[in-house]
Amino acid sequence: MTDTWPYLDVHQSRTHEPTPYEYKLAATLEEVFTREGHELADVVRGLNARQVHAADGSPWTEESFRAEMNRLGA
Amino acid sequence: MTLSSSATAEHIYATGLRNQWHPVVPSHFVAPGAMRKVTALGEQWLLFRRSDGVLSMLADRCPHRGAPLSLGKHLGDRVACWYHGVEVESDGTVSSVPGLPGCSLEGKKLVTSLPVREVAGAILAYFGDEEHPEPAELALPEPLTDPEVDAFLCYAEWNAPWRYAVENLLDPMHGAFLHHDSHTMFDGDTTAKFRIRETARGYFFEKTDQRGVNFDWVELCRTGVDWVDLSIPYPPSAGPGGPFGIVGMVCPVDEQRSGVFFWRYRRVEDWQRASWRFLYRTLIEQRHWDVLEQDRVMLEAMPADADQQENLYQHDLGVVRLRRLYRAAAEAQSTAGV
Repeated sequence: MTDTWPYLDVHQSRTHEPTPYEYKLAATLEEVFTREGHELADVVRGLNARQVHAADGSPWTEESFRAEMNRLGA
Repeated sequence: MTLSSSATAEHIYATGLRNQWHPVVPSHFVAPGAMRKVTALGEQWLLFRRSDGVLSMLADRCPHRGAPLSLGKHLGDRVACWYHGVEVESDGTVSSVPGLPGCSLEGKKLVTSLPVREVAGAILAYFGDEEHPEPAELALPEPLTDPEVDAFLCYAEWNAPWRYAVENLLDPMHGAFLHHDSHTMFDGDTTAKFRIRETARGYFFEKTDQRGVNFDWVELCRTGVDWVDLSIPYPPSAGPGGPFGIVGMVCPVDEQRSGVFFWRYRRVEDWQRASWRFLYRTLIEQRHWDVLEQDRVMLEAMPADADQQENLYQHDLGVVRLRRLYRAAAEAQSTAGV
């Protein structure tokens, strides 16, 4: 953080630069929300259909998606 | 030094209303054991956080010869002026004059200390004048205290007068033009009729014929601190949870500068809350920032006498009402000490 005027910082909510995995997940999530719907089941189906899987490569379940969002959106 | 009761209405209108709370800077700007020089309402202040985390806001002026305390040393629970070592406690009391122990300055509260509160990641301070040192009652914006609402603070510093920053918020119609190429305000009519609806704490300025499409309404709230509330729909890509809201506040820094505080909030819970927070950090914050930059570019480019040579129309009723209110308050405050 700087003391010089003006303070103009685009990113004030991040703790780190998102990883490529996080960028890809976020972009796909936006597409899924737009095309598939806003229900948890829509989201899990949409992500899996696009082969955008969890960090360990496994397909999403409602539980694993919930847990990952809680980690990334804490 | 404190805010003078004898300031002219013109000066108060230019540098910010007194006898109320204003935001100053985000809380994290002052770490425990640190201090930070800030300008607010045209005066110099020192934000000082003791090592135990307790925050105080002092006039940035040593009571001895007027040197800035912000150049001094943080001693954990006090600040020592660099010039002659005079030590001042966080409540403004001189605790020690090392050059002349027992000097009559010791034990006296000689430095103005403003009441401070930390709210949703921001430091608020009460700027009373000589006649009104006791803090005004402060009711916090509900979106910042409601546990079912989640918010991110965005803070930015603009080379624009505080009034222009507030007026911009009481002018929802600019959204349909200035922000037309944005992720949230691409939709909605570019013509509208507005009305003012008075409330117990301020007023709504709202479209009569459209709601929930664009930036269609704004509420000015005067609850000890001045803030606005508004709501803007997100596109479907932002996921479940409906529109996002903004609680906006402005710090009058000096006649030409302001600090703007925007809490983007959303009523979300569980995985929906987490997914919004994830998307916000990864992708959405940047888009919000791009919108805010459009406001900054426009307001910073406005001529200094912009509000002296205008031809207003129906969409400007909210701005006119705001100016009348602030003018009247500045007039009243300038004569408070007479």
